[in-house]
Amino acid sequence: MAETLVRAGPALACEALSYAYPGAGEPALSDVSLEIPPGEFALLAGRSGCGKSTLLRAACGLVPHFHGGVIDGRVLVAGHDTAESGPRDLSRLAGFVAQDPETQVVSTTVAAEIALPLELSGASAAARARAVEEVSLALAIPHLLERTTDTLSGGELQRVALAAALVTRPGLVLLDEPTSQLDPVSGDELIWLLRRLNEEWGVTVLLAEHRLERCLAAADRVIAMDGGRIACDGPPSEFLDWALDSDAALATPAARMFSLAGIEPPPAGVREARGRLASSGIQPVAPVKAPDGPRLGPDPVASVRGLRVELDSGEQSREVLRGVDLVISAGERVALVGRNGAGKSTLLKTLAGLIEPVAGRAEVPRGIALLTQAPGDYLVRERVGDELPGEEGARMLDLVGLGWAVDRDPRDLSGGERQRLALAIAMAGRQEGYPGLVALDEPTRGMDRARKDGLAELARNAAARGAGVLIATHDVEFAATFAERVVMLGDGRVAADAPAREVLAGGWYFATEVARVIDLPGVITVADGAASLGAQR
Amino acid sequence: MRAPFAYTPRPGVLQEAHPAAAIAFLASIVFVAFLFESPIVVAAAGAGAALAGLLAGARRAVLVALRLGLALLLLITVVNAIVTDRGSTILARLGDFPILGRVDITAEAIAAGAIIGLRALAAMVAAAVYTACVDPDRVLRLLRPVAGRSALTATLISRLVPLAAADHVRLREAAALRGPAAAPAGRGPLARRLLAGSLDRAVDVAATLELRGYGSSAPTAGSGERRGRSDLRLWLAAAALVVLGLGVKVAGADSFEAYPTLEIGASAPLLVLAGVLVAAGLVPLRRRGRRRRG
Repeated sequence: MAETLVRAGPALACEALSYAYPGAGEPALSDVSLEIPPGEFALLAGRSGCGKSTLLRAACGLVPHFHGGVIDGRVLVAGHDTAESGPRDLSRLAGFVAQDPETQVVSTTVAAEIALPLELSGASAAARARAVEEVSLALAIPHLLERTTDTLSGGELQRVALAAALVTRPGLVLLDEPTSQLDPVSGDELIWLLRRLNEEWGVTVLLAEHRLERCLAAADRVIAMDGGRIACDGPPSEFLDWALDSDAALATPAARMFSLAGIEPPPAGVREARGRLASSGIQPVAPVKAPDGPRLGPDPVASVRGLRVELDSGEQSREVLRGVDLVISAGERVALVGRNGAGKSTLLKTLAGLIEPVAGRAEVPRGIALLTQAPGDYLVRERVGDELPGEEGARMLDLVGLGWAVDRDPRDLSGGERQRLALAIAMAGRQEGYPGLVALDEPTRGMDRARKDGLAELARNAAARGAGVLIATHDVEFAATFAERVVMLGDGRVAADAPAREVLAGGWYFATEVARVIDLPGVITVADGAASLGAQR
Repeated sequence: MRAPFAYTPRPGVLQEAHPAAAIAFLASIVFVAFLFESPIVVAAAGAGAALAGLLAGARRAVLVALRLGLALLLLITVVNAIVTDRGSTILARLGDFPILGRVDITAEAIAAGAIIGLRALAAMVAAAVYTACVDPDRVLRLLRPVAGRSALTATLISRLVPLAAADHVRLREAAALRGPAAAPAGRGPLARRLLAGSLDRAVDVAATLELRGYGSSAPTAGSGERRGRSDLRLWLAAAALVVLGLGVKVAGADSFEAYPTLEIGASAPLLVLAGVLVAAGLVPLRRRGRRRRG
């Protein structure tokens, strides 16, 4: 067994930390000073590129030991200076889960992946078996243990990566958007599991997240970053006050709803919001207009009948879709939701002809442009103009707002720009610019609210030009923004298919934060909620 | 859809064996294929590797490797026939070309190219059986004492193939989803993207290994890697192939000459070695469990 490192002082301390990646003009972190005592549950908030991930990487030693670059100031993990202790030494003190779980898998089977940190620390076979069993039960993944990691969905991979980070029971857990690929049920379960670890075992949690509505209520403290600096550091209520004043996109939907309705102070979660409404005697009023029915036009752009699909999951095939029926019309904006492994990606790939069904049919009479979960896979050349040559290419670049980038290297574009370029590549040359169906698979991973709004606008434009838009997403807030209809898959079948205002308002998990606070039919967005509160006031 | 060469856990002699034994067995087949010029031996090595893969349950990997290997064999044969002007049996005179000069297609050049291609095919089949049947996690465990504290080395050695296979599947899907007016992905750009992406991924994986504590404690030899019931069978087969191959080679029985005229020997020792190579493909055959009476 490896020697035990002594834990002393704060779980994490940064002293005037500044850092620039190799070759970068601007520093990723500037003069960051903070101290996180043992047993605290802290959130890192901020827009994309504000330095959240870099700070987490500095806390686990990857910065600067693995990434290089120029660092100034100090980072101490439980009293150990990261300048002297590298990631492998700090691994006994801090567990890290990065944004993209696909890059964190180093083993072939799930059981081996989870057991690896213990094996590397010299734990006995019996200790390894027990720890793997316990952590897999805690994360509800015992059924995955015998699977090979290349057969897991993104969400399943994320839970496996988390299990591997937790299996050694580190004192500090660093998580970079751990819920970005999890369905709402798993996302909530994960946050409360972290809270339980935090409360019962004193594990310090530092969690970077865009979807604060999921985790704000569980946090003791929020550290908001802007341009590599700490812009706000305080309890959730203080953070919400700051966000509503400085950058409303960072505030949670419930807080923005309260702010719009003129109710103060903003709530940190659903429970607090409902309690505050009840104690104030405010009774939300249902909207006068009843929810719309599904807008089924005469022009179907996707038609699925009795679709059954089996996938190879290692030793034997697994039935993923078990008789799906679905019709999408031109101009419709549809969100495809459901738990991890429910078959969302499989349905999209089958529509695109990448997977052959074992029974039933999936037709897209006017073609389909599918953007998979990894837009970078579409970018194979070193110049944007070479990906999309000719007049049609230039037209597509203009359509997605990238006409200016024709001579740029795709790798120099931002994440959102690369995504739009990949979408343009998938759509180029289809019928009159837009194919019948534009489909995107989990496009909001790692996106801040501003970028999500841009994507929703893109989807609305495509629908306005006659394309059906189908987006598989775990982000119910995003679904409420862009979709008029929601299809929920459950265990390979369509569990619900109804207007967004109906599906996203009537549940515990697949409901927006506003819907969970107001709990009235048809109220799902911030504007809806504020109107239902404002009408009474 | 899984990559054809991806490791699949399933009951089998190669899968359950100690990875060193499985690697030694497959490497011994490749060793003999590279030791000999005789097409009989090289073809037998390929057949032995393919048979071993089929019996180990890696049918898809073997078939894909055979398809790729045959394409490579054809390519090498054609190129060798065009660029080599040796050989006395001229089948066709194609005339004078810039750089190449006079191009005569000879039976000897075709045969010599085919032997090189056949050897590559045998190696590809053996490599495909290895990636599909030998658990990379256990190989990594085996490599730890050798790679010491260098996580990156171990990662690149043991993980690059499965990573590249997974990336290849994704990139191929993305290439198929490109719109008709987008530039076709093309083999060259796709291969460059695959290589760059795989190396990036390997570096990411190395970072993860560091975070998991790789190299933080001195690993023991083999890290307690369990031995399989069929290890002895695999080791004996590997030793027999190497010893027999070296013996036949030293005895001068490897009689093959491509130039100036084609001469293919078929001596008894060569035929015995070829037979043993094919028979070695039966080593992964699982023994059926005996039924208990009563």
